[in-house]
Amino acid sequence: MSQPATRWPQDARVAVSVTIHVDGPSSAIGKGTNALGKHSWGRYAIRRGVPRYLDMLDRLGIPGTFFCCGYDVETWPQTYRDIANAGHEIGTHGYHHEGWDLGDAEPALLERTHQAVIDATGISPVGWCSPSGRKSWRTIPTLKRLGYIYDASEKDLDEPYFLPGVPNEAPFVIVPNNTVSLDDAPVYRMGQALASEMLDMWRAEYAAIREAEGYLHLTIHPIAGPGSGPPCRAAIVETFLREIAADQGTHFMTLETMARHCISAPQFWNGAKA
Amino acid sequence: MSRTLVLTVNVVGLGPEATEAPESELFGRFAHGRYTYNIGMVRLLDFLAARGQQATFFWPATEAARMPDLLRRCAAEGHEIASMGWGFEDHASLQPAAEIDLLTRAHALLEQLSGQTPIGFRAPTLTLSQATLPMLKGLGYRYDSSFVDDDQPYPLDEFGAAGMTELPYAEGLHDETHFGQRIAQPRVEQFFVETLDGLMAMGGWGCMSLTPRGDMGVGRLARLTMVGRILDHARDQGARIIPARAALGAV
Repeated sequence: MSQPATRWPQDARVAVSVTIHVDGPSSAIGKGTNALGKHSWGRYAIRRGVPRYLDMLDRLGIPGTFFCCGYDVETWPQTYRDIANAGHEIGTHGYHHEGWDLGDAEPALLERTHQAVIDATGISPVGWCSPSGRKSWRTIPTLKRLGYIYDASEKDLDEPYFLPGVPNEAPFVIVPNNTVSLDDAPVYRMGQALASEMLDMWRAEYAAIREAEGYLHLTIHPIAGPGSGPPCRAAIVETFLREIAADQGTHFMTLETMARHCISAPQFWNGAKA
Repeated sequence: MSRTLVLTVNVVGLGPEATEAPESELFGRFAHGRYTYNIGMVRLLDFLAARGQQATFFWPATEAARMPDLLRRCAAEGHEIASMGWGFEDHASLQPAAEIDLLTRAHALLEQLSGQTPIGFRAPTLTLSQATLPMLKGLGYRYDSSFVDDDQPYPLDEFGAAGMTELPYAEGLHDETHFGQRIAQPRVEQFFVETLDGLMAMGGWGCMSLTPRGDMGVGRLARLTMVGRILDHARDQGARIIPARAALGAV
């Protein structure tokens, strides 16, 4: 099952991507509530969470990928300028974090969020992750038209692969995100985990991944509620990242770097093992 | 006291979601099942082969048709091929004519693809009609493993299936019970161990059920490593870890 380490940039044994799903007030507003009172957990990301993770990634020297909702970028552009100015990647993640079928309205909303990031930061995103893991037949064609090179929404393999495409079309990379054991929110919300249990689970995942595919994609929500915004949960994220950073052969990269690497070395990414 | 742990696998891929939408429209959170086809099933078979461990695989016919090579590999490596119905139908709501048709066709397809004649059944949504067990008896089945009403096997005479045995599965030894709720892995391991220890101390019998998916199951390598520790723990307690058909003789 082991793969040659040369699959990764700089001969990394484990390629790690840290993605921050900002999920600010857009998410509550998209669900039809305002973001006040107990529904203000998304505001935590803007007030505390994003600054906390920018500081942490700066301390650790780790480049992150921040997935952003269009409404949040339009409303708090300075937060996203801070992210971009710190050198991190910005990807898009819905307008109101829509976890439902948008029908014919989907392409226009993808474009609106894309444009919001350009307006706020001057950067044209190349990566998308579905809010709540939903996607339609309209999604990928729209993303391709906007110049995207990867989607981080599938959960069906433990390493990147190419979307089966049309001949002569630019390659498009699927960088799977594992929402079952390397994503904080479902395990805190549904599983009611303690932070210490989360840390032990991530350690077990790292140990297994190190012996196999060597691709670890960690998803963090800097919000209150089910996220890792609050201090006790942010602390175990930092503990985990420090531990794996100390392991020789671990290399951190944004998903954009990962996707561009895959495109440059396509022979390694053949998809299913069966 | 002799101790037995029956090891079973529910072969689940996109099947449950494919009852709601065509496969081509399943993406992201609705396509966890593709993990089974891409890596989960291979990894589970590799894991069992490395341990020299045989198990009972409950195959829905639609999953067998989706992975015929892996079904043949499964049979060739000595695992028991058992039936899990056709395509994740709720057997409690099937009309008798439809139910016997699905059970018969699933039986024939598994036999044709694997070369084994199934003698065991687990209901695909763990629900049965009053007619299910008599129909299975008529098709030559020897056991069902869909009930949770005992710690140990018992005869199914009262359901019109004299000669058949129920091999009840333990909910606490079913990965989906815990991972389906996104319980963190360290606590899932504790759930398994406390369930196993209780059963072994009481009657010395238990039935574990694993799934090759990455979300509700143990297809992820970190989780199979955990399963290895749990199986070692069972063996250390003197349990024989065997497929269901091998447990029938001891009932």
